[in-house]
Amino acid sequence: MIMKSAIAQQIACPACDLLLQNIHTVNGRNLFCPRCQTLLYQKKVDSISKVLAISMAGLLFYIPAIFMPLLTLNAMGMEQTGSIFDAFLCFYNQQYFLVTILLFFTSILFPLIRLSILFTVSLQLKIRLYSKSLFFLFRTAHHLDEWGMPDVYLIAIIVSIIKIHKMASIEYNIGFFCFILLVLMTRATTSALDPECFWRALDKLKIASSNRKSNGSK
Amino acid sequence: MALNKSHRQTAMDAGLISCHDCGKLMDGRHVPQNGHLACSRCNADVHFRKHQSVPTTWALVITAAILFAPANLLPIMQVELFGSVEYSTIMDGIIYFFHSGEYGIGLIIFMASILVPLFKIVGMISILLSIKFKWKRWLRHKTKMFHFIEFVGRWSMLDIFVIALMSTLVEFGSFTATQAAPAASYFAAVVVCTMFAALTFDSRLLWDA
Repeated sequence: MIMKSAIAQQIACPACDLLLQNIHTVNGRNLFCPRCQTLLYQKKVDSISKVLAISMAGLLFYIPAIFMPLLTLNAMGMEQTGSIFDAFLCFYNQQYFLVTILLFFTSILFPLIRLSILFTVSLQLKIRLYSKSLFFLFRTAHHLDEWGMPDVYLIAIIVSIIKIHKMASIEYNIGFFCFILLVLMTRATTSALDPECFWRALDKLKIASSNRKSNGSK
Repeated sequence: MALNKSHRQTAMDAGLISCHDCGKLMDGRHVPQNGHLACSRCNADVHFRKHQSVPTTWALVITAAILFAPANLLPIMQVELFGSVEYSTIMDGIIYFFHSGEYGIGLIIFMASILVPLFKIVGMISILLSIKFKWKRWLRHKTKMFHFIEFVGRWSMLDIFVIALMSTLVEFGSFTATQAAPAASYFAAVVVCTMFAALTFDSRLLWDA
């Protein structure tokens, strides 16, 4: 019979399932699996506070980044302007439904959901307000990391600018700068996020809240 | 990090399951009647190995490989210039950049929309074959390649985003207008299939062989 405490001191490599003794690392040092050399754990300083601050900043930039015009083109005496949301509507009007759905999820919906979840979870951890859904929310954020693609979109904007700049003069609008900031904030949440630290804090919060409840009922 | 006493014991050998979402290790020998064991921390479904991983991944990779042909052969973009319509495939766009001397951008698009999907398909097939025939060599390199495939998958969406932006911005009435063409759907499907293939694949199977 495996003791509960023995399980708590072990971890398994997510890539090759090798059973390892869990050891604590110093900040900034990484742990690698000895068999497959997958990065197991990277400890980050003050992860929860940083994620709270950065996701809040990202959410502030979200609406102007998506709905404000990115670029204005001037060619042949005509002007054309567009935002990220316009690009989605444009595909919708062309009746490419698979592409439209993908575009909507990856560039508009998922970045928003992920930032909101990270904001909610880190805020509730900070003010020690427990709710059952936190575990589900944080798990969802973990899955959305890959499917939200604002950074790919930013490179696409740069490629489009290079494509267009010969045939039209380009003005950069507020949306463009807000979008750059949104991408930076999204990347920053990823690099500040220490999932292990969040999971442990969530566990602690759950135990604390159930203790409080049982004390209250007495 | 210290290896466990018995060298190379996996969590499965010890009857333990690690949650794929939160990393928690738990006893996997007492599966409830409905057959679904949920993580005690985050409530995700946990399995010793991902369910039906190899056949699902094969299906997705083959689908992606089939769709890759129309994605590259059909036009992905149509440009209207003074009333005449011109269709261009992915390769046409890349060649256009090389002709106009913009090698950097040409190379980025070539890597994102041709090299990356191709690498993902070929890479996944070689990993799946190596499981099928239990090739035990280069395991560490194969794992690294799989991590790279996971990481690089999203970047093939680049071309789709460029077309979306171009068709919004380059819209000057009857003079010139840009629109998407059929290959866009096929190309998007290739990207989705390869990304899902990376998700359904369980790299632990490589090491079980």
